[in-house]
Amino acid sequence: MHIITHACTQCGTVVSANELESNRVMKCPGLDCENVLRFTDLDESDQEHFLDNKASYEL
Amino acid sequence: MKGVLLSGGTGSRLRPITHTGPKQLVPVANKPVLEYAVEDLKEAGITEIGVILGHKGREEIQDLLGNGSDYGVEITYIVQGNPLGLAHAAGCAKDFVGDDDFVMYLGDNILKEGVVDLVESFESGDFGAGIALQEVDNPQQFGIADVDDQGNVTQLIEKPDEPPTNLALIGMYVFSPAVFDAIEKLEPSWRGELEITDAIQLLLEDGYAIDSHVVEGWWKDTGKPEDILEANQLVLEDKSLKKRGTIGDDATVDGRVELAESATIEDGAVVRGPVSIADGAVIKSGTYVGPYTAVGPDSTLEGVHIENSVVIGESNINTSGRIVDSLLGKGANIGSADDFLPEGRRLVVGENSQLKL
Repeated sequence: MHIITHACTQCGTVVSANELESNRVMKCPGLDCENVLRFTDLDESDQEHFLDNKASYEL
Repeated sequence: MKGVLLSGGTGSRLRPITHTGPKQLVPVANKPVLEYAVEDLKEAGITEIGVILGHKGREEIQDLLGNGSDYGVEITYIVQGNPLGLAHAAGCAKDFVGDDDFVMYLGDNILKEGVVDLVESFESGDFGAGIALQEVDNPQQFGIADVDDQGNVTQLIEKPDEPPTNLALIGMYVFSPAVFDAIEKLEPSWRGELEITDAIQLLLEDGYAIDSHVVEGWWKDTGKPEDILEANQLVLEDKSLKKRGTIGDDATVDGRVELAESATIEDGAVVRGPVSIADGAVIKSGTYVGPYTAVGPDSTLEGVHIENSVVIGESNINTSGRIVDSLLGKGANIGSADDFLPEGRRLVVGENSQLKL
């Protein structure tokens, strides 16, 4: 399985694509980080891959 | 070498304790299980640790570990979200790990000997992965490894009917970055998860040598209440315990007892170790605290006889009854019903609680 993640550019906290996709827009969960993370921060090819295979990223 | 510490999961087998917090923060000998893992990684010289977070208890875990500076390590948080299996958790750590090898440590596991020997064994050769094994009496219920004379793993089998060995995988691994290629090739198993044993099997099939290290000391997965009690026994048996708190002149304290600086054992109380009593706890007159008990912070015990139990903290226990083999959640209070009519026990019990009366 292609596992897709995004690292916050401000604090380095890593967030998986399934978490980004379910929230769409979220405050970075890193400690004291105010950065905003979006599913669209992922590469377009990763976004497309995730959405095409969304079922396999769910329980 | 980096560390990846898994701290997700629902903790369903530890309900109701885990209704209000993650299982990795349940204390053993008055210290959250997760802290033992961080200390083990630090002891092995690993100071860059990625902590995998699931849906449950993220903030509590971050509140405890912070940026790692209190433990002399540097922590990066990795939010896995959906619990899609151990291999998925490892895969989420790919960017954090980079080109390094890494130890993957299950945050609700605790083992006597730490991971130093596991890491040294892995580093002594050119391995794709290293796995910790322990001899078990019931290999049919575990993932089992077959190994050759040199300790190289030749096969992994999940819950075999006819196990070739009694060496079970215990949830401690060392991986080279090659594991990420194996994970990319994985498909979810029948239970919808990416299985780490499948990733290791793929490494084997791709020609990588897999090291094994047989753990001689005890190991516990603290997933169930009885496991917490057993881990508490094992840690109290081994731990160096110091009395720093206040002990009344007419209190009786036998054996090894850890008494935190602001904890008190008052006159007329009896404490028989090994026992751990945390800060702010008060053991009042007429109370007996017996072996293998941990009394958590800011708890007050009066009149009760308690042994082989874990009181997580902030409890008031004021009863003449006997409490054994019990796990009491934070803020759980137990009083006496002796003066009430009609006679009988009076309970306010949360969902998924287990009582034996």
